[in-house]
Amino acid sequence: MLAVQVLINALVLGCLYACIAIGFSLVWGVLNVINLIHGSFIVLGAYLAWGAYQWAHVSPWYALLIAAPLFFAFGYLLQRLLLNRVISAPVLVTLTLTFGLDLILNNAMIYYFKADYRKLTLSPPTGSVSLFDVVVPVDRLIATAAALALTGLLYLLLRRSKVGRAIVAVRLDRDAAVLMGVDVKSIYAIAFGLGAALAGCAGVLMALIFPISPLTSSAYLGKAFVVCVLGGLGSVSGALAGGVLLALVEGIGSVYLGPAHATTLSFVLLIIFLVVRPQGLVGRKGFE
Amino acid sequence: MYRSPLACISGSVLLAIASLSASIASAEDVIRFGAPLPITGPLAPEAVKQQMGYNLWAEEANKAGGINVGGKKYKVEIVYGDYQSNTPRSVQTTEQMITQDNVNFMFGPFGSGAAKAASTISEKYKVPTIAASASSSQVYDQNYKYLFGTFTPNDTLTTPLTQIIKAKAPEVKKVAILARNDLFPLAIAQEMDKSAKANGFEVVYFEKYAINTLDHSATLSQIKSLAPQWIFITGYTNDLLLIRKQMADQQMKAPVVTMIAGPAYQDFIETAGQSAENISSASWWHPAEQYDGKDIFGKTSNFVKLFKAKYNSEPDYGQASAAVSGALFQLAIEKAGSLDRDKVRDALASMDVMTFWGPVKFGANGQINSLEPPVFQIQNAKPVVLYPEAIKQGEFKLGVN
Repeated sequence: MLAVQVLINALVLGCLYACIAIGFSLVWGVLNVINLIHGSFIVLGAYLAWGAYQWAHVSPWYALLIAAPLFFAFGYLLQRLLLNRVISAPVLVTLTLTFGLDLILNNAMIYYFKADYRKLTLSPPTGSVSLFDVVVPVDRLIATAAALALTGLLYLLLRRSKVGRAIVAVRLDRDAAVLMGVDVKSIYAIAFGLGAALAGCAGVLMALIFPISPLTSSAYLGKAFVVCVLGGLGSVSGALAGGVLLALVEGIGSVYLGPAHATTLSFVLLIIFLVVRPQGLVGRKGFE
Repeated sequence: MYRSPLACISGSVLLAIASLSASIASAEDVIRFGAPLPITGPLAPEAVKQQMGYNLWAEEANKAGGINVGGKKYKVEIVYGDYQSNTPRSVQTTEQMITQDNVNFMFGPFGSGAAKAASTISEKYKVPTIAASASSSQVYDQNYKYLFGTFTPNDTLTTPLTQIIKAKAPEVKKVAILARNDLFPLAIAQEMDKSAKANGFEVVYFEKYAINTLDHSATLSQIKSLAPQWIFITGYTNDLLLIRKQMADQQMKAPVVTMIAGPAYQDFIETAGQSAENISSASWWHPAEQYDGKDIFGKTSNFVKLFKAKYNSEPDYGQASAAVSGALFQLAIEKAGSLDRDKVRDALASMDVMTFWGPVKFGANGQINSLEPPVFQIQNAKPVVLYPEAIKQGEFKLGVN
């Protein structure tokens, strides 16, 4: 029964990891920018959910509706006003810029919210569901469903909408997309805005499960990075596969080697993938 | 009015000398205590508690006119430094305080790990240091001359706790131990392991979790599958709140659940709510104690009263330890009648005094060896003391749901 419980835990956690990583993967895949602000965006989204619930009694589900446009606008403007200026520079320059922006955002959060941990506790508590001896917390189930819905929405957007097809086109061949009349600057800003919106929404979902602190941003960024490498850049299904694989490795590693070694094990796996299969599990050229 | 350049220069020089001597005079009237703390970072909540204790002591000492050094009163000034919960940075901060901020004496940084690391610096510069939150024997095994600590060794917490469970819950046989992979939480878990085995319990699980772990679900599922009757978890407040929430998510129940070191803090009880009920713990001090101290706070009840008046909350052992560390420095400086670091160090080493914290006497390694730490349990959202007998407030209750 322990094996089934660990498997269920990993599936649930894996979907959440995918949700953390998908926006990061989109930005990296389309803009070729390793967005180091991603973890702080997630934490900011978590604060938004916490603040809305704490001060205005707005349920986290409505907070998702607030977070998505707000973070999209924030990301869009950030890309237009700052990142766009260095987008064609070597990757180290964009890395430095996002690192600097992350320092500013993270320290601003430490300044306003302090380093204390906060927790969004729903009242009444959602409890857990159990079947035989397998127990799954309801809040995790709801967050997983929302994470899958967000991932599905992104998939549909990229496959079915004009903007989505333009994003995939820019990802596949930037120059050809320009020749076909695609406004690459706008597409970059939209892709970055989408990445930020997905990070903000992921933060809202994470607030239901994990404690909130500016200091958790590096943990989220680390997970996003590992998931992208494991799943492969440029694929929605890759993010899901990577998320579940990471959660499985952490869960099984924690049971058989002890929880202290779970993180080490995931990084060992990361190195193996980088050497043996750098394209990841489902890595493809296009974003679909 | 005409003034010669020479007159101007000599005037300026005189003014500079006058202001310099004024600043020297004011510097002489102040005793500076360095307090490196993790003001930001994962340990920030603990740092805030320590700061509250130091500030209360400084305020009380200054209200009374300051510290009496050979008939002259000196005001207290505490110099804080944020090492951002980063142990190597606590060493740098300590060195900076001693060499650049010119502090007279030091308080140790938070926890056993950072206190041990920073103690090498204060020992190098021969600066008397009181560690207000370091209990692990590894900190004091160094046999440093200038380091003192207000927490007794870890086994003084786990041994009475084990004996209470053995006596009150004879059906409890299997123990699972989960520890944060950090100096103090791991050291106390190791003491628990020894203590449990020595008292005939079977330790069915003993593992460490990494600092900053977000998800404990796989670990907790494994513990649950082993069906231990006593679950013993160590970590700091945030770790324990997260683990307690994830235990409830997995519907984990056990006759006994012990957590160290969080339940002594009011914010743990408030945040955990109903799930804190019947969690047992142990700490080095409790506001229910009744000592009649010779320190600036006097009776324990007076310290509690002053603390409540300033912060509008009940003090916990972390806050009390910080306050008593200041009070002990004050007693030592007044006894030495000097700010000479060696004389103050000798006064601390030979100290044998009653305080609001309890009897204080340091062993040859600098660690206090005169305290009897209380064991308690959260009952009806309040910590209820179960041991020692002299301050017992209630009986042990079985069952954590």
